[in-house]
Amino acid sequence: MNDKPRIDKLYTLSSENRKFSFSLPLRNKIRIGKRVYEVQLKSDEKYGTYILWKNRKYPVEIIRSRQNKYEILFNDISYIFTVETPFSLQRMKVLNSTRVKAEKEIVRAPMPGKIIDVLIREGSTVLRGEPLVILEAMKMQNEIQSPVNGTVTKVNTKANTNVMKEDVLVEIKVE
Amino acid sequence: MKINKILIANRGEIAVRIMKTARLMKIRTVAIKTVLEPNAMYLSFADEVFDNTEDVSEIPVFLDIEKLISIAVNTGSNAVHPGYGFLAESAYFAQKCLDNKIIYIGPSPDAIYKMGNKMIARRLALKNGIPMAMGSEGNISNEEEAVKIAERIGYPVIIKAASGGGGRGMRIVRKSEEMERMFITASKEAEKAFNDPSVFIEKYIENPKHIEFQILGDTKGNIIHLGERECSIQRKHQKLLEEAPSCALDINLRKKMGSMAVQIARAVNYYSAGTVEFLLDSDRNFYFMEMNTRIQVEHPVTELITGIDLIEQQIRVANKEPLQIKQEDVKLKGWAIECRINAEDVQAGFAPNPGKIEKLSMPTDSYIRVDTGIQEGSSIVSSYDSMIAKLIVQGKDRKDAINHCKMALDKVWIKGTKTTLPFFRLLVRNQKFLDGTFTTAFIEKDLDRFYYNSEYEEMLAAWLATKLFVDENLQESSIGSGSDNDNDMSPWLLNKRINQF
Amino acid sequence: MDLSGKSYKAFLERQEALRKQYSVKQAEKQHSKGKLTARERISLLFDEGTFEEIDAFVTPANQPVEFGKVERTYGDGVIVGHGKVNGRLVFAFAQDFTVMGGSLGYVHAKKIVKIQEMALKMGTPIIGMMDSGGARIQEGVASLSGYASIFNNIIHSSGIIPQLCVIMGPAAGGAVYSPALTDFVFMVNHTSYMFVTGPNVVKEVLNEDVTFDELGGAEVHGSKSGVAHMIYDDEENTILALKKFLAYLPSNNVENPPVVADENSTPDINEKLRDIVPDDPNKAYDVKEIIQLIVDRNSFFETAEMFAPNLVTGFARLKGKTIGVVANQPKVLAGVLDINSSTKGARFIRFCDAFNIPILTLEDVPGFLPGKDQEHAGIIRHGAKLLFAYSEATVPRITVILRKAYGGAFIVMNSKSLGGDFSFAWPTAEIAVMGPDGAVAILYRKELLESKNPAEMKKELVKKYRDKIANPFIADELGYIDEVIDPAVTRQKIISAFSALSNKWVKVPSRKHGNMPL
Repeated sequence: MNDKPRIDKLYTLSSENRKFSFSLPLRNKIRIGKRVYEVQLKSDEKYGTYILWKNRKYPVEIIRSRQNKYEILFNDISYIFTVETPFSLQRMKVLNSTRVKAEKEIVRAPMPGKIIDVLIREGSTVLRGEPLVILEAMKMQNEIQSPVNGTVTKVNTKANTNVMKEDVLVEIKVE
Repeated sequence: MKINKILIANRGEIAVRIMKTARLMKIRTVAIKTVLEPNAMYLSFADEVFDNTEDVSEIPVFLDIEKLISIAVNTGSNAVHPGYGFLAESAYFAQKCLDNKIIYIGPSPDAIYKMGNKMIARRLALKNGIPMAMGSEGNISNEEEAVKIAERIGYPVIIKAASGGGGRGMRIVRKSEEMERMFITASKEAEKAFNDPSVFIEKYIENPKHIEFQILGDTKGNIIHLGERECSIQRKHQKLLEEAPSCALDINLRKKMGSMAVQIARAVNYYSAGTVEFLLDSDRNFYFMEMNTRIQVEHPVTELITGIDLIEQQIRVANKEPLQIKQEDVKLKGWAIECRINAEDVQAGFAPNPGKIEKLSMPTDSYIRVDTGIQEGSSIVSSYDSMIAKLIVQGKDRKDAINHCKMALDKVWIKGTKTTLPFFRLLVRNQKFLDGTFTTAFIEKDLDRFYYNSEYEEMLAAWLATKLFVDENLQESSIGSGSDNDNDMSPWLLNKRINQF
Repeated sequence: MDLSGKSYKAFLERQEALRKQYSVKQAEKQHSKGKLTARERISLLFDEGTFEEIDAFVTPANQPVEFGKVERTYGDGVIVGHGKVNGRLVFAFAQDFTVMGGSLGYVHAKKIVKIQEMALKMGTPIIGMMDSGGARIQEGVASLSGYASIFNNIIHSSGIIPQLCVIMGPAAGGAVYSPALTDFVFMVNHTSYMFVTGPNVVKEVLNEDVTFDELGGAEVHGSKSGVAHMIYDDEENTILALKKFLAYLPSNNVENPPVVADENSTPDINEKLRDIVPDDPNKAYDVKEIIQLIVDRNSFFETAEMFAPNLVTGFARLKGKTIGVVANQPKVLAGVLDINSSTKGARFIRFCDAFNIPILTLEDVPGFLPGKDQEHAGIIRHGAKLLFAYSEATVPRITVILRKAYGGAFIVMNSKSLGGDFSFAWPTAEIAVMGPDGAVAILYRKELLESKNPAEMKKELVKKYRDKIANPFIADELGYIDEVIDPAVTRQKIISAFSALSNKWVKVPSRKHGNMPL
């Protein structure tokens, strides 16, 4: 008995929650209104990787890809997308409505050392993975990264300060 | 003594710029190769290259006066051009060159010193009747004095470093409660940046335009101005886009401000190229800010509308030739705009984005001029600066120039780092920019985001993400099992493995 | 036979009853929680039309004691069978939460045991998709013994066939040992959890309030406990990833992993590799960037990414052939070895060894993490696991020393003396008993004390140390490194080294098994 949750469409969500839908199998054509235009991913010696659309080339770079999350640099602007199937999209809605999401994220020093550089300040918006402070320990410079997307509400440390393990460094309001 | 060999005490695009003109004038040039950029583009433009890659000293060679003088002597260069930045406003360096019988392509050490010290510059302006923002008579020695003077001038005021600019040692104070704290912070910052904690206070002019005048003088006492540049598009006191001329000035204002600029230059017997900076408030009052005693990054826009090669003029003046151009000869024709394309991430507040430039392709239309020191394969070294190239466009008027700018921006192809291109693409479509009503507060206050993307770009990027997902996860491939592949596994091995258990 | 005949009619009626049991309404129960049904999961996993179900119609056992009601359903809450995954034979079971909460009863367990035994006979991988309320209370000791049989089989198959587990719902109490014993555990975020004792009991005994997620959610097991290796945000991605993962593994411990066609998309020589390690030895870099440039494009599949991130483990391919990668990550904790990374590395290496997967080690380790915490918790024992695992492994083992390789950590990370087959070093490598600062402080203690400018002197001595003792050329000349290589040709060197080792075979000592520190 095979009832496959047939994946016939994919929804690609941008970090600003804009939704783009693509039918499968994915074609090299995109429909705008009544017309259909061809889109191609190409690469050559002169230009590197680019997208060809309506006779114009756009420089493109795949910066990061993790599971179903992609960071794409398109014409000098980076976008972060999550590719969802219809079911996973529904699942997201179910979970978002029932789950209590954490409001605040506290970033602590993972080990004792000295803060060399503070890269953000109160009010800075940060993305998950973005470095917040540089902690020197074990004779090495370690990036302490933000675990969430959000806004920095408090910076509890400054450059040239010694910190202990678990000391609160930064407080972030989760977006 | 006539200049026959110039040592370029700089790197990057300005080094290339100087060398191009020197070549036309049949003057030899010497460039310095450093360990941070052993393959930089500027090295291939020089006639001779001095290899300084063995130097492991902490001070970069371009800031090491002793070293530079010795390199000049070593290579037989009888002139030095400091470019901009580094030692370009060091009176001491200029003097040391002269002491060693090396022609310094720039103004006199005295002029550099006087204009470099903001207090002296202010006093000279005051003496010469140049309009200025009301300020403290001299440097402020302590917090109490700061508060007193601020009360006299009236808030808001701005604390400024006496020995340098670029936003460091600068603090705007709007309330007397903040003064003490700001004074201390500004002083400390000034000390760190310029080795001199001296600060002074001026009335802070809200949302001014930054207008600067290009000055050219010779050693015979002739000084002219070459019109103004509009430099209000700045972020944290760093200029991003400059234009010549400015749509805020009409013929009369230009004449007035121009003659004031020449006057202040005359007060220090200025010769060579220099720039006088003014602030223009919303009532069209102008105030002298400071004078930069060097060639500036944005000089190309003036060159394009006047047809004058400023580097050539600098070299001629340094050769003690009299200026061949009179003020009435100076005609401003058309409009020019310069975009500073830096390796910065505009989505992260212009954070530096160093990296290697994998692909670089600049447009070559007749209305475009590109000044750069970067070629494909160059790395942007964060210890120097983040500039990739200056994109300068011309037009018959401002609208035409902006239009050319729009077209040129879409033809620039850079891969390897994020650049400020999306910011300029936004700018040339912004109404306030198009109207010319922007001030220095434009970027902080009038923009809600710093980049532009056209209608379908996000969708195309989304398509690409989807394609990657499909290629990685939804392709049903037949991989087969390990044993019915021709896997180069010998039966011998299989046998052995089985027998060991 | 007459299609309308009595026997055929009974056959069709039963089919209909089964279909009804898995109705849309039942599916809704799972979907409303954001979960897929067991059948849907099976469909996603197997190639279309290849799944053959076994024991679909078994009914629950008769209870020894009448205690509560047990529904008369088919299948007893689990779907088992075999099929093809990307063309390869695989056995799988998927617990069905909609039938008696997926609870494990006597028959449920027997079904699983059946396919475990078959998988072992056929030498094929077995995948378990767990989504169960736990042991069926009504069946008492019979369900407990059911678990025991399952565990027993996992243990007997361990190291013979790859056993993967996907947690897609609750897995509590005794049930968690099933995943704990398997080779790799995949877990779905937010809708699955694992713990030995649940929040209710925690509240009762310790009066502590804790949610399911906090106690045993995917994030906890992925980053703190290390029980789960791969975490995904939704079920489809989990199963798709599982399929991708399976393609790296052989079907059993006698065969080689499948070879994938390599599109030659990764250049064998890449100058970018020279730019990654910074000149300043105190500056960190991301070792995953190096991995990406060495292996076949997009072929690096990281395992246990969030657990002990100071050691990176995962599978990758070189010219289509699977290798295991172990690499110190300088970006985290300066790349030191600690308890968690030692156990993570050791388990990964032993898996590779069991399944004939060659191991590539990228080394940049300044030592072990110092401190009372680590010492008291037994870094000595745990560090020894890594050493044991490396030395015991008879698969081809190659090391590339990227930068630091000091002291005990150097020995532990697959040094030649531990039986590493080839050791390469980049020119940036520093191989020494201890780092320059420590060494100079000890060797020149007197001179530094007497010096007028100790800081300046130390700087010079450190430079001398780096030049004279810590550089890789010495190790090269003494034969402890096979070659100092240009980073740009790393991929080429490794491929040719592994190719030379493809027929490596070492006789394993005849003993029941070693006594590895645990």
